[in-house]
Amino acid sequence: MIAQIWFYDGQSAARRMVEMEPVGGRFLLVEAERRHGPFAFADLDYSGEQGRTSVYKHRNIEGWRIGIAGDMAPDIAAALPGRRQYGGWIDRLGLGKAAIGFGVISAAIVAVIMLSPQWLAPLVPASAERTLGNAIVGDFGGRFCDTADGRKALMKMASGLDKNVSDIDIQVANIDMINAVALPGGKVILFKGLLTGAKSADEVAGVLAHEIGHVRERHVMQSLIRQMGLTVIMGGIDGNVGGTLNGLLSLGYTRSAEREADDHAIAALGSADISPVPTATFFDRLSAMESPEPRGKADGKTNPKQDGKKDATIGKSASVNAENLLGYMSSHPMSKNRKALFENSVVKGKNYRPVLNETEWRALQNMCANDKDVKSDKTFDFGV
Amino acid sequence: MDVHYDKETPPTREGSAFEFTGNWAAFGKIALTNLLLTIVTLGIYRFWATTRERQYLWSESRFIDDRLEWTGTGKELLIGFVMVLLLILVPFFILQSVAQAMVLQGEAGLGGALQMLAFVVIIYLSGVARFRGLRYRLSRTYWHGIRGGSDDAGFGYGWSNIWKNIVGYAVLGLLMPWAMMTLWNERWSKMSFGPHKFDAIGDYSDTFKRYLLFYLSPLLFFGGSIIILIAFAGFGSAASGDFKSTSPAILTSAIIGMVLFFYIGLGLIALFFYAKFFRVAIDGLSLQKLDFGFSAKTKDWFILLLGDAGLWLLAALFVALPIGVAAASLGFISDFKLPEADATSAEAYAAVLVPVILTIIIPFSLVGPFIRYRHWKFFVTYMQCYGEVNLDELTQSETVSAKHGEGLLDAFDVGAI
Repeated sequence: MIAQIWFYDGQSAARRMVEMEPVGGRFLLVEAERRHGPFAFADLDYSGEQGRTSVYKHRNIEGWRIGIAGDMAPDIAAALPGRRQYGGWIDRLGLGKAAIGFGVISAAIVAVIMLSPQWLAPLVPASAERTLGNAIVGDFGGRFCDTADGRKALMKMASGLDKNVSDIDIQVANIDMINAVALPGGKVILFKGLLTGAKSADEVAGVLAHEIGHVRERHVMQSLIRQMGLTVIMGGIDGNVGGTLNGLLSLGYTRSAEREADDHAIAALGSADISPVPTATFFDRLSAMESPEPRGKADGKTNPKQDGKKDATIGKSASVNAENLLGYMSSHPMSKNRKALFENSVVKGKNYRPVLNETEWRALQNMCANDKDVKSDKTFDFGV
Repeated sequence: MDVHYDKETPPTREGSAFEFTGNWAAFGKIALTNLLLTIVTLGIYRFWATTRERQYLWSESRFIDDRLEWTGTGKELLIGFVMVLLLILVPFFILQSVAQAMVLQGEAGLGGALQMLAFVVIIYLSGVARFRGLRYRLSRTYWHGIRGGSDDAGFGYGWSNIWKNIVGYAVLGLLMPWAMMTLWNERWSKMSFGPHKFDAIGDYSDTFKRYLLFYLSPLLFFGGSIIILIAFAGFGSAASGDFKSTSPAILTSAIIGMVLFFYIGLGLIALFFYAKFFRVAIDGLSLQKLDFGFSAKTKDWFILLLGDAGLWLLAALFVALPIGVAAASLGFISDFKLPEADATSAEAYAAVLVPVILTIIIPFSLVGPFIRYRHWKFFVTYMQCYGEVNLDELTQSETVSAKHGEGLLDAFDVGAI
C-alpha cells in the first residue's frame, strides 16, 4: 500500500494531501500544483499516533504536522524520527530496565533521606535551633506556670537526670493534658495534667527523663529535617497516597526514636537512683486507657508472648496479631511493652530514693494552681 | 472546506461533530505502565503519565473530520508543579506557621487575621488556577495544526471569582447559579481558538428553577418530617399513654430517612441542577460560526457517576480479596505471629508494611485514570456542534503560550472545564 500523507502547514487549518520527495537529508512535500519545503528530516519530532497514522511535527514551525498512514519507502522510514512512548530516557532503556533502574535509585534516595537526618541534625548549630524554638514557643501565650518552690523542685528533679541541665529549658504549661513534649532548641514542656495525674514525683521523673532523651539524641531536629525531606520527595505522589506513605515512613522512625528516648530515660533514672517502677506503673495506667480489653491477666504470667508458651487457640493468636498490628500503627511503642522495658531495668538490691520529698512534690504539682499570673488553658487549641 | 451541521435535526452518533473512538484495553495498557513508572520514580513520573493519558484521549477524539492532538509535555507540567511549590506552597506554609506561632504566643487576633488573609489568597489563587488551567489546555490542544489559547493571564478573573462568590453567598446563597454562570462566561469569552474568540452567553435564569428545587428541598423535607414526627409522637403518646414506647422506631426510621435524603436525594437533585447548568453553559458557547451544545441529561450524568462508584467498589474488592485470603490463612496457621512490633527494627517494619501498602495502593491508583477516561468519553460523546467552519480562515493562534503547565490547577485540585 502506498502511504497516504496529509500535511498542515501551521498557518491555516487547510489539510493538504501530499507526496514526500526526499532530497538528501531534506524533503519536499508535493501537492497537485504546489511544492512545500524543503524541510530537514533532522527537524522532525515524533508527535504520536492517531489510529494507524503516525504524526510528526516540525521543531521550529508551530502547528506544522504531517500524518503518514501506511508504509513508507525504507529510506524515508529510516530517516524519520523513532517513536516515543514513555518519554526519552525510558524509551532508550526499555520499560523493564528503566523501571528497575528507577526503582533502585528511588530506594537509595528514600534510604538517604531516612538516614541523613541522623548525620545532619548535629550539624545544625545549637543557637539556630534555639532561635527556632523561641520563634515557635515564645512565652506560650503566658501559659507557663512559675512559682519559686515549684521551679526549685523541678530543677532538683532535672539536675539528677541530666548533668548539663542548664542548656535545657524545662517549663510547666497550664494545659490539662496528660502529656509532655520536646521542642526544638532543647525545650521540654510538661503539661499540668501530667503533674496532677501522676501518683508520685518518680512517675514524672520518668517522663521528664524520656523527653530529655529526645533533646540529647537531637530527635526534634532530626524529625524536622526528615519531615522536610519526605515532604519534598513525596510531593510528586498524589496528595492522599503521598501523605499516607509519608506518615507511615516517618512513623517507623518516630517509634525507634521513642525507643531511644526510653533507653536514655532508663539510664538516667538509674544513675539518679530513681526507681523505674513508678514509671512502669504509669505506663500500665496509660495502657489501660489504650486497650478496650480488661487487662489484669493479660499482663501477668499467662501472657503467651512473655513466657514463650505456644498458644494453640486461633482466637488468641489472632488477637495477639491484632494487638501487634496496632503497635505498628501507633507512633509510640505500646505502653504495655514500655512498661515491661522499665520494669525489667530494676536492679535488685539497689538503694532507690524518691526524687523529691513530699513538700517538694506538692510544690511542683501545684505550680500552676499557685501561680496567680498564669493564663488559663480555656482558650487553648493545640493541634498535637 | 466547509462542514455543516444543522441544529434543528440533531445528527446520529456517527454523524455528530464529536466522536470518541478509544477503548478500555488500549487505555488500560497506558494506565498500568504509568502506574508502574510512577511507583518506581516516587511519583515524579506522574507528570509524564498525565501527558500520555491525554495524548491517548485527545488522539481518540474526532472533531468533524480530524482528531484532536495533545502537545503538552511532562516536563512543562513538572516545571509548573515546582513553580507552584516554590512560589505558593512554601510561602503559604511559612505564613501558616507564623500565624500558628502567633496564636501559640497569645497574639490570637493578629494570628487569626493572618490566617484569614491566607484564606483569601487561597480563594483568589484557586480562581486564577482554574482560568490558567483552561488556557493551558487550550494552548496545547491542536486541531488541523491550529491551537487555542488566551492572552489574558487570569489575574483579573481571580478577583471576579472572589467577589462573585461573595455576592452569590451573600443573598442566602440564592445567587450561586448567577455566580457560577457569569464566571463560566467570563472564563470562556477570554479564550480563543485560532484567530477566533469564543463567545459565552449562557443565561443563569434558565437554571434557576432547578436551583430553587435544590435550595428549598431540605427546608421542605425537614419541615415535613418534623410535622410528621410531631403528629406521630402525639398520636403514639395519646394512644398508649407512654411516649417512650413508640418513639424509638419512629426516630430510627426518621434518621434513616434523613440520611438517605441527604446522601441520595439531595445528591440527585444537585445532579438535576448540574446537568441543566452544563447544558445551558455549553449551549451558550460559540466560536465564530460554530455553535456548541451538550446533550447529557440528568439520567446520563447519573449513569456516569454510578459507573464511577462501581469502579471504586471494584477496586475495594481487589483490595479486600487478597487481604481477606491472607488474614484467613494466617488465622489457620495458629502459631503464626507477626514480629513483635516493639522489637523490630525499621527495616523489618518496612518489610511488613510495604507489601500491604502496595496491595492497597495499586487497585485504588487505577481508579483515577479510568474515571478520567470515562469522564472524557462522556464529554466528547455528548458534546454537539452546529454550524460551519471555514478552514482557510482558521489560521494559527497568535496568543502567548506559557512554557509551564497547570501546576497551580493541580495544587488546588480543580477541574479545568
